[in-house]
Amino acid sequence: MKKLKYDVIVVGGRIGGSTASLFASKSDVDVLMIEKRQEIGSPVQCAEGVTYGAFETLEIEPSERYVRTRVKGAHIHAPDGRRISYEGGIAQGLIIDRKIFDKELAIESAKAGTDIMLKTSVKDLIIKDHKVCGVVAKHLGKTIEIHSDVVIGADGVESNMARYAGIEAYRDPKNIASCAQYELVGIDVDPEYLEFYFGSKIAPKGYLWIFPKGDGVANVGLGIRGTVDNAIDYLNRYVSKLDATPVELNIGGVPVSGPIEKTYTDGFLVVGDAAGQVDPITGGGIHTTISCARIAGEVAAESVKMEDSSAQFLKNYESKWRQDIGKTLDNSVKYRKMADKLNDKDMNALAEFIETQDIEAISKISVLKFVGKHPNLMKILTEIL
Amino acid sequence: MDIIQENCGYCGTCVCVCPENVIELEENGLIIKDRCTECGNCAIVCPLGALNPEG
Repeated sequence: MKKLKYDVIVVGGRIGGSTASLFASKSDVDVLMIEKRQEIGSPVQCAEGVTYGAFETLEIEPSERYVRTRVKGAHIHAPDGRRISYEGGIAQGLIIDRKIFDKELAIESAKAGTDIMLKTSVKDLIIKDHKVCGVVAKHLGKTIEIHSDVVIGADGVESNMARYAGIEAYRDPKNIASCAQYELVGIDVDPEYLEFYFGSKIAPKGYLWIFPKGDGVANVGLGIRGTVDNAIDYLNRYVSKLDATPVELNIGGVPVSGPIEKTYTDGFLVVGDAAGQVDPITGGGIHTTISCARIAGEVAAESVKMEDSSAQFLKNYESKWRQDIGKTLDNSVKYRKMADKLNDKDMNALAEFIETQDIEAISKISVLKFVGKHPNLMKILTEIL
Repeated sequence: MDIIQENCGYCGTCVCVCPENVIELEENGLIIKDRCTECGNCAIVCPLGALNPEG
């Protein structure tokens, strides 16, 4: 029988939830993690690429149980077919099985002392004197109230927790990438490279990705914004040209707005997709979520020990994660807005320019000369700078 | 807003763009409570076309 009072309650049992609960439990406080589904890690809503840095933050060695391939770079395909190769940096990392990884992370958290409730949905927050102090949860038709000093919302893009806590309004659909992905068998790709395809025909205001999982298997997916056709229509059009068989279909929305304005209030923190802690350019959110959720878990535990879970104390979470990745995300929002304005012709021109340059040593003069020949790019650049 | 339940993949993306906060993702499907203003946000982001604004 679970208790009806915890120090910290974490709503959501994916990467954000498990990381936050793991680090809160490691700091010796009583933690409950609530997952609405009956199975952790399923269904997958992710392209499953992760950086090595994410594992360093977790202080966990990547395990062969979930690592499918290790990639060293990316091929970026312009609308006209021009291809740019890039190695290292953010294009370097691991392709994992999220179903296994998410479960392993929950196991780590449970081993550290976290209690976990499955098939339990949180219907509301308990708020007293403007302070969040627990959740109203429903499990197998039974409604239970569970109290806590801090609630951490890690409930994904469809987050209700942040809304219940009064720190987030709805999101503009312009800032949500609508995504669909097949795991395909029988696809001929370089197992050490990610593939990215750009263009208004393939994926308007987004891109199509191919993430190799080894042995002729790959995640082929795309994210789009503001289209009449649905993500699945674009994906089916692309996939119909391949002689490959799907074994899984994943769908979901990715917030590409950058972080929400405020990620804390009295007795409450929000992490991950729910907080918009996703790189707006790539749509990647594993490493950002892990960084922020670790801080959330540690700050929540500290607040319990200090007996102060006021907004004033929990603000530490926001200052710390902003210090960590705030600037990167802010810049990324800026670049995304710039990229939104590029048409296919601009992208082709950019690809041609990059192709002819030594990336490490692009001079200002060569950029100015190039932009001078492309008035639309010049206009975009002037607007941004 | 017309819901095509058999298209719904339960991803919840529609929930986050609803200005009226009237979409609920229940275990047995999507529910839109009565205050829908037909803004169409949910239909724009649905990856599987489970929401039809013409309904």
